Amino acid sequence: MKSNFITSLLALFLFAQIVNAQPSYEAAHPSLDVIEDPIQRRAEYMARVNEVIEWRADIVKNGLAEKMDLASVSANLRLGRNIDECSARVIEMMQTPGSGPFWMLPSVCAAFSGKDLLSQEARDAIRESWRTTYQLRGDTENHFAMYYTMLYLMSEMYPNEPGDTWYTGKSSAENLAESRDYLIDWMDLTTTIGQGEFNPTHYIGEYAIPMLYLVSWAEDPEMQMLGKMTLDWLFAGLAANTLNGVLRGPNSRTDDSSVIERWNSLTSFFSWINFGNCPPTKGFSWGNYYGVVAENYEIPEVIYRIATDRDGSFEQRDLKRSRHQWRYSDVGKAPIYKTTYITDDYGVGSYQGGMADPIQTHVWDVTWKTPDPRGLHPTMFSAHPYSAPKGMQAYFNVRPDTMVTAVAAEGKPSYDVADKLVGCSPYEQVFQDLDTIVALYDIPKGTRFEQVNGFFSKDLKNLSEDKSGWIFAQGGDAYLAYFPLAPYHWEAHMRYSRLPSTGNGYRYERIDSGSQVLISPHVKNGTILQAAATSEFANFEAFKKAIRALPLEFTLEPTPSVKMRSLRRKDISFEYGSAPKVDAKAIDYSKWKLFEGPYLNAEKGSRKLEITHGRLKRTLDFNTISISDSVIP
Amino acid sequence: MLPSITILSLLALATFSIPCLSQTTKHDFYVCAAVNKNYVIGSKIVTTSGLHRSDDAGDWQHVGINDPSIFAVSFDPRNRDVFYTAALNGALRTLDGGKSWRIMTSWDITEPKDICVDPHAPDTVYLAHPGGVAVSKDQGMTWLRLEKGLPERGKYTQTIEADRVRKGRVLAGCETGIYLTQNGARSWRRVLQTKETVNDIQQSPHNPETWVAVTQSSGAWASQDSGQSWIPFPDVPSEAALYNITFDPTDPKRLAIGSYTYGVLTSEDKGETWTTRNEGLPDPHRVWRIGVHTDTGRLLASVYQNALFVSDDFGRTWSKEGLEGSAINSFVFLPKERK
Repeated sequence: MKSNFITSLLALFLFAQIVNAQPSYEAAHPSLDVIEDPIQRRAEYMARVNEVIEWRADIVKNGLAEKMDLASVSANLRLGRNIDECSARVIEMMQTPGSGPFWMLPSVCAAFSGKDLLSQEARDAIRESWRTTYQLRGDTENHFAMYYTMLYLMSEMYPNEPGDTWYTGKSSAENLAESRDYLIDWMDLTTTIGQGEFNPTHYIGEYAIPMLYLVSWAEDPEMQMLGKMTLDWLFAGLAANTLNGVLRGPNSRTDDSSVIERWNSLTSFFSWINFGNCPPTKGFSWGNYYGVVAENYEIPEVIYRIATDRDGSFEQRDLKRSRHQWRYSDVGKAPIYKTTYITDDYGVGSYQGGMADPIQTHVWDVTWKTPDPRGLHPTMFSAHPYSAPKGMQAYFNVRPDTMVTAVAAEGKPSYDVADKLVGCSPYEQVFQDLDTIVALYDIPKGTRFEQVNGFFSKDLKNLSEDKSGWIFAQGGDAYLAYFPLAPYHWEAHMRYSRLPSTGNGYRYERIDSGSQVLISPHVKNGTILQAAATSEFANFEAFKKAIRALPLEFTLEPTPSVKMRSLRRKDISFEYGSAPKVDAKAIDYSKWKLFEGPYLNAEKGSRKLEITHGRLKRTLDFNTISISDSVIP
Repeated sequence: MLPSITILSLLALATFSIPCLSQTTKHDFYVCAAVNKNYVIGSKIVTTSGLHRSDDAGDWQHVGINDPSIFAVSFDPRNRDVFYTAALNGALRTLDGGKSWRIMTSWDITEPKDICVDPHAPDTVYLAHPGGVAVSKDQGMTWLRLEKGLPERGKYTQTIEADRVRKGRVLAGCETGIYLTQNGARSWRRVLQTKETVNDIQQSPHNPETWVAVTQSSGAWASQDSGQSWIPFPDVPSEAALYNITFDPTDPKRLAIGSYTYGVLTSEDKGETWTTRNEGLPDPHRVWRIGVHTDTGRLLASVYQNALFVSDDFGRTWSKEGLEGSAINSFVFLPKERK
């Protein structure tokens, strides 16, 4: 079973077409000035929150009350407007409830927003739907987070009710206990061996919104507190992985659009509402359900400053985990060693390669800062387009023959397409040192798609193929050098454009985006990428000269191998299948911490995260369920 | 994929209930069917999926929850109003013939694909799930992970089948082979090693010592010593997955295999030779589930998201028999109750 997330996004997008203009989406890029005054910061945060709520509620003002969804119902309830229309619409919608977490979350939002406002009949209609309509739990971590948070909250709202009043057949107390156990287990995993769906471009909402609902509506103060701490945890990670609000680095899950147009994802909504440093996405997307109660949470100053108040380049290393592999693997939850290096002008991010999630992972890239990210493709990377039924079966409890076709019909159109750019591969290994990436590919003969794809943006300047083998380009204020280890040719990048449904799955057409894909049809392969700020060199020619002068040796047989010196004067050697070395010292991933960097630090297994910026420090301690703030002397 | 109580084991249930002679068939016919083409989590369910029973007129009547994820069902031989399903949310149980349900497992067991009641210890229920095997000794109220002898990695379990003649004897089809317990899951041992998942195991309705199994990439197998040792069927392809296998309860020489790639394969000489029987099935003949009607010997083939097809000449000709758009996960036959 796949998630209905894209359907939900589409519904929200269509909603965006029938209501008023969306001020922040259409306005100029917001100021990047750091707001020092906490009162002003709160006021501007609340202005953004109110913009979401007002915009969503305005559908009634436009005479379209009959088209309200549960987000607009909740927004109107939050504002205390159009209560009768909201009650009527809820009653109508509860006649045909949905069937899983993507329905449970909106229905909880309406139930709690209307707890004292909706008519008794409307409230009863919601409650009754939780008896009569069997809810499917789903099969991903975000499904479970939503499912159990919503079941927890509804069971708390209606305590002491017997099993025959719930679709689960379990009593309120049993539902509550099961939900709480799951959520605490998930938090325990996250705070000991790392997040599963780490650094996602969209799915941050599926975690942040449930946690905000715990903060807002849980009666148990422990669950409220855990919700708040987990929100801090999520947003600290977001802050440390963004540059001007745009998410950088690898993603456990992304999609064909967001991997290219890096701003165009739900994380930009969360950067906008929390940090105020980038435009929100059109229609606020799933963030409408966050906005309704966003007043109940505000990021602490230390996280705000990590996102907005940087002092030069930094490297952050994190430990994450793969999606659970049920079979065909020696490990269930594989460790993910994630590196992010962010400067004032660009970010380089990666994990070590291999499988993190079977469909939507993005392994590495360089992304550059732009004055306004909207509509741009500010990124460069390569990937092996891996597609395999058995790869699917490792993670999904499915038969081998249907899933490859099914995922394409369910909103992941590129999964089995040769020129795809989203997805990880068991045949890719990556090493990153600061702003140097070495990605090696050793693809067994006979593997579907014996090629490596490199993405080259339409927004690059001065793209040139040097006779040295390097491909040089400039992205924003970053100079970029890309070295393909095997011959290649160029193809147009064909983006996916959604077509109207004919009731037989999602349909797309492919349209030339203006960007290009470097196709290297060789199984022994590799990519080297180096980036530098334009300010580091007198001019582009000086950068090229510096790159050409660096020692570089590589072989492809029997296994791809690179020995090189980086622009940062590091001697890097990396052979596929062996530990990479820097200055002759092998990288030991076993010593990787849960977080290690100037802003986020945690020991593996500690359940304790230290968030620091300058003298500010916040400690999230899940052992004692406590938050402590301090100022470093 | 395994029906929870297979055609084979359900024959044993006949000892618990004497069929009404006035009825044209001696068994009630159930299917677990998903009618969910293009369904994704969160969608409004506009079709009716889950457990269906064929009424006397041959029409399908939906039973219980509208759940597109029900893969298997298993009945309590003492009381057919008590039955269990394996579904996305876990193991479910009804005590009143499907009027009300309870999700019996918790968050830590998900997406089981098979479930079976031990016919000789019917409070005991075995569950095949991606994390291994879970066992309940109290009609599903509590569950234990009884996996001693299963490998830490490689215990993904797709199918589970209780021996219909010996209490506490169960065969589990896992990622790395077939595992046998003879002591109610207190310990398991591997009796067949496979490269990839064992998709279905069935016990013969004619001879309880005879078992058969099909796999994802290791072909089809037979055992003549109650699952202690296995030999491959000759002449059965193994390049692509075989989904399930069935005996013909009306003819001990007949067997059939269902496969998404190969369609229907039949044998009429106890598995010595096999013939492809796809003429008359839709092209492509993506067979999701194969079965044989216990009373009539009619061959049943669910073609993926197409319909149920039937053959009265063991696959030589086929006709469509309803359940349009469905993928049937299991066929189950229960002796009719005395009225």
